[in-house]
Amino acid sequence: MKFKILKAIDVAGLQMLDPVVRLFYGETPREQLRKIVLFIVIPVLTIILSVLLWSYLAPRHTTKAGEVPTPGVVLDAARGIQQFHTWENQKADDFLLTGEARQNALAAVDTRIAELTPLSVAAAASVEEAKATQQAYREKYATPLEAEYKQLRNDLKAKEDSQEEALIAEADTLGVNDVAARQAYLKKVAAFDAMEEANKETLRAFKDKIDAVYSEKFPVLEAAQTTYNTIEAELQYLSKRRDYLTADNQELKIASAQIELKELETGFLSATTGKETFKAAERMLKKQESIDRIATSEYSRPWTFPRQIWRSLACVFLGFFIATAIAIPLGIFCGLSRVFMAALTPFIALFKPVSPIVWLPIIFIIVGGFISDPDVSMFHPAFLSSAITVALCSLWPTLVNTALGVASVDKDHINVARVLRLGLVSRLFKIVLPSALPLIFAGLRISLGVGWMVLIAAELLSSSEGIGKFTWDMFNNGSSESFAQMFVVVFVVGIVGLVLDRIMIVFQRLVSFDGAPTAL
Amino acid sequence: MDSAKISRVHRTLTYLIHMKAKAFLANALVVLTSFTANASDLDLEKDELKVGFIKLTDCAPIVIAKEKGFFEDEGLQVEVIAQPNWKTLLDNVISGNLDGAHMLSGQPIAATIGFGTKAHIVTAYTLDLNGNGITVSNNIWAQMQENDPALDTPQPKHPISADALKPIVEEKLDEGEKLQMGMVFPVSTHNYELRYWLAASGIHPGMYTETDTGGRTDADVELSVTPPPMMPQVLEAGNIQGYCVGEPWNQQAVFKDIGVPVTTNYDIWKNNPEKVFGVTKEWSDENPNTHVAVIKALIRAGKWLDEKDASGNFVNREEAVRILSQPNYVGADYDVIKNSMTGTFTFQKSDQRKMPEFNVFFDNYCTYPWYSDGVWFLTQMRRWGQITESKPASWYFEVVEEVYQPDIYLQAATLLLEDGLIEESDVPWNTNGYKPATTEFIDGIAYDGRDPIGYLNSHTIGNKDPEGLAKK
Amino acid sequence: MNTAEDTLTFNRPTASMAHLELKDVSIGFGPEGNRTEVLSGVNLKVEQNEFIAVIGFSGSGKSTLVSLMAGLQRPDSGSVLLHGTEVTKPGPNLGIVFQNYSLLPWLSVYGNIELAVKQAFKDQSSSERREHIERYIEMVSLTAAREKKPGELSGGMRQRVSLARTLAMQPEILLMDEPLSALDALTRANLQDELVRIWEEDKRTVVLITNDVDEAVLLADKIVPLTTGPGATLSEPFQVTLDRPRDRTTLNTNPRYKALRNEIIHYMTQMNKESKALRVDNGLEMPDIEPIDFSAA
Repeated sequence: MKFKILKAIDVAGLQMLDPVVRLFYGETPREQLRKIVLFIVIPVLTIILSVLLWSYLAPRHTTKAGEVPTPGVVLDAARGIQQFHTWENQKADDFLLTGEARQNALAAVDTRIAELTPLSVAAAASVEEAKATQQAYREKYATPLEAEYKQLRNDLKAKEDSQEEALIAEADTLGVNDVAARQAYLKKVAAFDAMEEANKETLRAFKDKIDAVYSEKFPVLEAAQTTYNTIEAELQYLSKRRDYLTADNQELKIASAQIELKELETGFLSATTGKETFKAAERMLKKQESIDRIATSEYSRPWTFPRQIWRSLACVFLGFFIATAIAIPLGIFCGLSRVFMAALTPFIALFKPVSPIVWLPIIFIIVGGFISDPDVSMFHPAFLSSAITVALCSLWPTLVNTALGVASVDKDHINVARVLRLGLVSRLFKIVLPSALPLIFAGLRISLGVGWMVLIAAELLSSSEGIGKFTWDMFNNGSSESFAQMFVVVFVVGIVGLVLDRIMIVFQRLVSFDGAPTAL
Repeated sequence: MDSAKISRVHRTLTYLIHMKAKAFLANALVVLTSFTANASDLDLEKDELKVGFIKLTDCAPIVIAKEKGFFEDEGLQVEVIAQPNWKTLLDNVISGNLDGAHMLSGQPIAATIGFGTKAHIVTAYTLDLNGNGITVSNNIWAQMQENDPALDTPQPKHPISADALKPIVEEKLDEGEKLQMGMVFPVSTHNYELRYWLAASGIHPGMYTETDTGGRTDADVELSVTPPPMMPQVLEAGNIQGYCVGEPWNQQAVFKDIGVPVTTNYDIWKNNPEKVFGVTKEWSDENPNTHVAVIKALIRAGKWLDEKDASGNFVNREEAVRILSQPNYVGADYDVIKNSMTGTFTFQKSDQRKMPEFNVFFDNYCTYPWYSDGVWFLTQMRRWGQITESKPASWYFEVVEEVYQPDIYLQAATLLLEDGLIEESDVPWNTNGYKPATTEFIDGIAYDGRDPIGYLNSHTIGNKDPEGLAKK
Repeated sequence: MNTAEDTLTFNRPTASMAHLELKDVSIGFGPEGNRTEVLSGVNLKVEQNEFIAVIGFSGSGKSTLVSLMAGLQRPDSGSVLLHGTEVTKPGPNLGIVFQNYSLLPWLSVYGNIELAVKQAFKDQSSSERREHIERYIEMVSLTAAREKKPGELSGGMRQRVSLARTLAMQPEILLMDEPLSALDALTRANLQDELVRIWEEDKRTVVLITNDVDEAVLLADKIVPLTTGPGATLSEPFQVTLDRPRDRTTLNTNPRYKALRNEIIHYMTQMNKESKALRVDNGLEMPDIEPIDFSAA
């Protein structure tokens, strides 16, 4: 049992759990504890430490564009993203609810509205109150400063004007070509300019004081606004839910359409003139059509982050699949034939460093040329373009590793193949490929990693739904949460990337017959 | 608390009290209302649509038509999808990934005449008027105040022209540098408005030529394309000293102490057209009834957005802001969007003004696709050299008639009028498509859409064309 | 492609011809002008069912000799003949057991043997094939380990798999390239006994390459020393006339065995001294120590 678990842990690449299992079975406790400290405690401590450091540093670094979010704010943003997702799912569910379930949901929504409405009124009042306080503060401090500033500016201006006049008057008395006098005069003018400059400086400094009053933060106001906004956002959501539980509910829509259909039917049956009958018949059929349409319709849900993550995964796997389908056969040919390798080398060297940002527009045009009507095509063109971009950027490690693996098959294995007189095909599938498999998988693992990295950029540009589009959209929102949302993206992308890599490690281990160590 | 909010809370409360008692009745009632709205007799060619938008508050009519169920009332299931930039948005419309989109007024025209991407795009609906602002960095603003003491008060007098900017530009030029400013797209209203504002004070914003597609030839101030959300950051970083952009990016700059909005496009040209709803000609021809249905929903959304109570306050704007601030729509903070959308605009922290017409979504017949609006954009394209050769006046009229589709608009309006969803007075039924001549520009120059050549020639800076073309 | 039919035709030896014959075989490597002759003027005749051991020092070209016989390499001059027909490419009739086993690490014991059997006997039904494979696994006493991968086996077990794989192809000639040299002494002794047993059971022509005199004496009918390279060649063979079955425990006390063994060792060391004397220019005085082989102890 113990060894089965250990083996499973090893294959799954979770070696850090190894000492835990061994300790559980009472094997060399000191040694195992030391390993636990090394592999588990220290990494966890590092994480905790960096989170603490982050919480300490983040509030101390602010730019005008925004604040670096603290872990708490990031967590809030993650919750916000999740809430949006839940709410949208709820609306989709509401649209399809029927009968008693619908009534119950409606009652729940109404109760919640009744609960929130007075809270909203109170929150609005406290916002107004806080605003009034802010206004009062500004009036109290800024207004006198502004008056003072005006006075000061006028005083200084008057002083400058009078001095300027005096200087002009003095200039009238200067003798022509009187070098010494004119030199002295020049100095005076310079002094005047310096004074003007100094006055400007004084005024600016004074203005900064006024600005400081206006920029004074009012945490009470901010808090009140946040509370009010939270309540109002939920009310907005609830009122929308109400719509989907009443007028916009699928069942009710169909019911009302059916009543109409009945009416139309009566009209049709009682129609007398030919023209009228024909029209009534047409109307009836159209109504029936629209009922069918409603019956199959769905709440058109916006793309929420969790769905976008899945979509990104689908995209990266499609891209990865395309890359594999291209890279492995090409790699095999390269590995088998020096001529082929020589022919392909310039292309590999040329295309390998090209960035996804360059590929995407080109691919977009090419894909667009094949898909004339996006509504009927199996893949959305943006999705397909992103996937192909991922493929083009990520196929190189697999290609190179496959070629290497195929070219460097153990000479003894080749001799075995010769002795057995294996044909080309069985030599390929029985000797060459199995022997190259560990290297191929090492390449695939790198490819998937590259693909995942590239995908975000591709989606961002192609506006194919996914993590990349989410990132760009949230950035475009420019809301106070945008930065925190970027952090959420960082963690999600990191974690998904980690999981993908782990999965590939497991595959790599499963095919690596020689027990070759796989790098972390 | 303003009256709109009180009325809203009041409505909710009364509603709740009555509801319990009349739950059944209320339901039935709602069903009935949806009935009347559902009475669309249009034979839709397509009922699932994808509509693109850019995260700016003036996408509101599209978002509202979806969220308030106006699209559904027409039997349309509409997915509203944010686009990363104007270029991609246009490409997606052309390629058919999108059925229609929120577009810059200049985009359908430019696409149709082949400036940039060539495609025949049409519009039957103007989404809004005004809504842009010009923001300069704090430093430039301080210098402008020094140049013109009249600006150096907590609430300076508007409109503010670029006169106080001119000395700064000249000083820079003497140092061998050029002031840099950002706008969002070569054919965007922002580009033309910023150019207009600068040129009105004798600052040359640069010409487009056959070889200079950046539009910097002879420029005193160089303009460059920057995506709206990047504007505040780029301004703070000092790469540009000012920009012209839509909301919420001007208000963001004030609230974050990055810059000062000096003027809005309302002051540059009172009630100027801003965004349109664009589709390809091909799509419009294939789906004529669907197009009308979409326009019907948009008209209702526009009307809903501009609904006012007896004392002239918007009744629905707060709800609209609440919806727009959702992350899948504009997504900016509620309090930031609310400012301009509910009719206040913050120029400086000490200078908050009522601007009820900052965003117009329905009033002044604004949603009608006016030919004269199209002609104005064409004159600007010619003025700044995006149209490289002289064209006769008749060409201007032909182009706008290809792009603007008042017939579709009127068809939609007629249906709405029949259903009693709009008033007769909401629509200019008998216009020839040209607004009366106006002088409501920052420099007071008269614009008459029926005389594009004369208008071109009345400006000091920019291309001029032979008078003879006016008659052709 | 070789089939069972081919093997049958090959199995009909003509009286005058030797079973396997090397005629004046020479091979070398390296470019013109800097060429090293590995083997030159090698002549050898192997009769049907004869067990020949080629004995030589490390680096004298033994492996090259096996490659030539197996058809893995072609001689630069001279010819390798099987029933008078030139061997041009390797095949299942020339079974070879490699020094380092050459098992396919991704296949199990069964899988490795199966791969070979499938190639050698294409017409077998699957049950026949299974039986065939099992028989050879049994022969090398590996039934318990049949599903193990080579990585999980000890060196001795691996070499048994390799042996079973080669035997299972039922080659006309079994070529063994130092099959036991990588093993420890005890395992080696064990396997030698095993080899004897199998050969008794399944008589066929064997060429064993080895560097171990005791091994050669124990197993072979004829021992052919390979002179030290470069340009190595085969010397006059020593006939081993000891009776079979030979028992290693009693053999040690057999005077004929001792005499033969000493004679060969003397011949080999003498030859080694000569070749060393030819290479005095390396300027390094070698200690005068004779290696003692414990493997036969």
